[in-house]
Amino acid sequence: MFLASMTENNFSLKKIEISVSEAEKRTGRNAMNMQETYTAYLIETRSVEHNDGQSVLTDSLWRRYSEFELLRNYLLVYYPHIVVPPLPEKRAEFVWHKLSADNMDPDFVERRRIGLENFLLRVASHPILCRDKIFYLFLTQEGNWKETVNETGFQLKADSRLKALNATFRVKNPDKRFIELKHYSDELQSVISHLLRVRARVADRLYGVYKVHGNYGRVFSEWSAIEKEMGDGLQSAGHHMDVYASSIDDILEDEEHYADQLKEYLFYAEALRAVCRKHELMQYDLEMAAQDLASKKQQCEELATGTVRTFSLKGMTTKLFGQETPEQREARIKMLEEQIKEGEQQLKSKNLEGREFVRNAWADIERFKEQKNHDLKEALISYAVMQISMCKKGIQVWTNAKECFSKM
Amino acid sequence: MSGGPPKALPSTGPQSLRDMPHPLAGSSSEEAVGGDSTPSPDLLTARSFGDKDLILPNGGTPAGTASPASSSSLLNRLQLDDDMDGETRDLFVTVDDPKKHVCTMETYITYRITTKSTRVEFDLPEYSVRRRYQDFDWLRNKLEESQPTHLIPPLPEKFVVKGVVDRFSEEFVETRRKALDKFLKRITDHPVLSFNEHFNVFLTAKDLNAHKKQGMALLTRVGESVKHVAGGYKLRNRPLEFAAIGEYLDTFALKLGTIDRIAQRIIKEEIEYLVELREYGPVYSTWSALEGELAEPLEGVSACIGNCSTALEELTDDMTEDFLPVLREYILYSDSMKSVLKKRDQVQAEYETKLEAVALKKEERPKVPADVEKCQDRMECFNADLKADMERWQNNKRQDFRQLLMGMADKNIQYYEKCLMAWESIIPLLQEKQEAK
Repeated sequence: MFLASMTENNFSLKKIEISVSEAEKRTGRNAMNMQETYTAYLIETRSVEHNDGQSVLTDSLWRRYSEFELLRNYLLVYYPHIVVPPLPEKRAEFVWHKLSADNMDPDFVERRRIGLENFLLRVASHPILCRDKIFYLFLTQEGNWKETVNETGFQLKADSRLKALNATFRVKNPDKRFIELKHYSDELQSVISHLLRVRARVADRLYGVYKVHGNYGRVFSEWSAIEKEMGDGLQSAGHHMDVYASSIDDILEDEEHYADQLKEYLFYAEALRAVCRKHELMQYDLEMAAQDLASKKQQCEELATGTVRTFSLKGMTTKLFGQETPEQREARIKMLEEQIKEGEQQLKSKNLEGREFVRNAWADIERFKEQKNHDLKEALISYAVMQISMCKKGIQVWTNAKECFSKM
Repeated sequence: MSGGPPKALPSTGPQSLRDMPHPLAGSSSEEAVGGDSTPSPDLLTARSFGDKDLILPNGGTPAGTASPASSSSLLNRLQLDDDMDGETRDLFVTVDDPKKHVCTMETYITYRITTKSTRVEFDLPEYSVRRRYQDFDWLRNKLEESQPTHLIPPLPEKFVVKGVVDRFSEEFVETRRKALDKFLKRITDHPVLSFNEHFNVFLTAKDLNAHKKQGMALLTRVGESVKHVAGGYKLRNRPLEFAAIGEYLDTFALKLGTIDRIAQRIIKEEIEYLVELREYGPVYSTWSALEGELAEPLEGVSACIGNCSTALEELTDDMTEDFLPVLREYILYSDSMKSVLKKRDQVQAEYETKLEAVALKKEERPKVPADVEKCQDRMECFNADLKADMERWQNNKRQDFRQLLMGMADKNIQYYEKCLMAWESIIPLLQEKQEAK
């Protein structure tokens, strides 16, 4: 069980345990008043007493996947500099033939339950995210939570440009580290996708190899019926072949856990990319603002000195329809000077914002890197352990079969 | 059997299976047949050829005039027969050293046949000759002709589809060599076949083609007589014991066929698995190139999967080369055995028909006409030879399959051991902590 620190009304820090302990099929009416079936998940929060380590159930409520999504979208908007933990996949992907792609399939639901629990644990263990009020309410306030989140107005704050993944901003001076990081996240996504696809095919093939061996069981049994001395050995060897064939089910089920660990980081890559995009966007806005300011300054200067170097509509119309009066010119200069003053302020704050973003984001990215390296190493180790276990089982079964054959 | 009216046909007739000795049994129950015209079960064992000798239907004289290859004249060979089961073997044959010969007309492979023997039939203690597949084919045909009452071991398949299998690849040649070696060893182990003159010529002649051209007609008396059995005699009842053998062979061949298909399917699935593994491993390498701290662990996993792929390839190669051919050999074996059974039926049918014909004639006959007696003789020899060979075949079959299946289990164990070693060796690499930055 995982321990996290939490704030309650920003007053105190408590140690808590979170678990998504159950999943339940429900039917209800959706926004369009149509009947739908969905799965609800039970979230239980326990507070842990320091001294005796005992945990007490403090909160227990049901949430569905879409509420998790809402929570995450909120976090993405309010913490753009944080690599926000991802949710488990919405639809089953990278399935090999024995896995179901059906969202209602109990195996899928079970793996999703684990993934949702993992998500909450990740958020709760994040030094910044864990203090968020909306997150706290997610765990504690069943009714009205959706309304509360929407009241924050976070959807308005969301920058739609960030959602347009393919939109490119021509940024002149991005922080090189973010460019590199974005490349890395793209490549990571690509390589893990590829890995998951091939792994699914490998699992499929391995399944086939094991299952065909089951046929030996039957034919050895049939053959043993016509033999005298060889009969017993054949029969018992056949039994071991059956054991071999059926062992693959558990083996591959365990491997799905490995695949889920990889998937988490596949989706994490997306979150990483989002932070880089945010930086790009901020930098773009900054550069646009600076450009705009520079152009206004230029205009101002030209008006003051009477030289026209920059093209302006006003200048054109002036040429066509006659010069403006000195009063008009003065007014314009004054307006521009106001705008310039404002612009300089904005640029200053944007700059500050930008630098702060870079600093904070980079801190979280470093934290994320450590976490990623640790987690993936653990995942690889557990994968190796799974393979070792599979090999040992194989040796055992074939040794048993060999023994039976020797008695033929 | 002397004098008197012809006895009841020495077939086992309509009897309950329970009373019938199992074709695989040694000397279990007594065969409930008519008198001493058929060898008793005790004589089914190799040792009893001598006794059988003495119960020839046409009198007690051992068929001294019979050609040496007839099983009914192996008095002095009895000793050697016993010894063959023990340690004092006197004939050793090996097939090795395949070589390719390129001639203007064709390209072919020859194998070296080395023979060591203390038998009187061999002038020299040691021989070394070179033979090609068609020579083996000639030998087998000659054996079938001259020893029709015996089970002749099969040869590996003659024809290979050109373009699909490379006749000159190392794997193919080695697989064939092993099968040819097995073929000769089975003949060597056979108490009758090993003394066959064609076999001797095959092992010793410098120029086999010259011998082939002479068309040696060393047909045995039995052989010739069996050859003369024209088809067309209909057998009413196959004796239960031979019927049982026939049924056994049918089911046996069926089961082997199924096992062959399963084995082929497994190899196919394993190869497809291998294809995927060969794509899977390198992806970890690609990933490794993106990473810093994870680079080594990922590269390690990639290499590990590569090792497992190699091990898998070795497994599928072994199964293809060592397992499948032996299965197929036994299927061929049981096919040829079934045709020997049919020939036996023919001999029995001829005898029964002739016997009936005699019985129908109203004339009183002092004794059974000679040619009917000859038929009976042939049939009884055939039955005895076949039963003895069946038992020998059953024993060898058991040993061969025991070895084959243990070998299959072994190969799989070795595969998993190689994989285990690979994965265990990277655990320390994965657990390695980076030096504090």
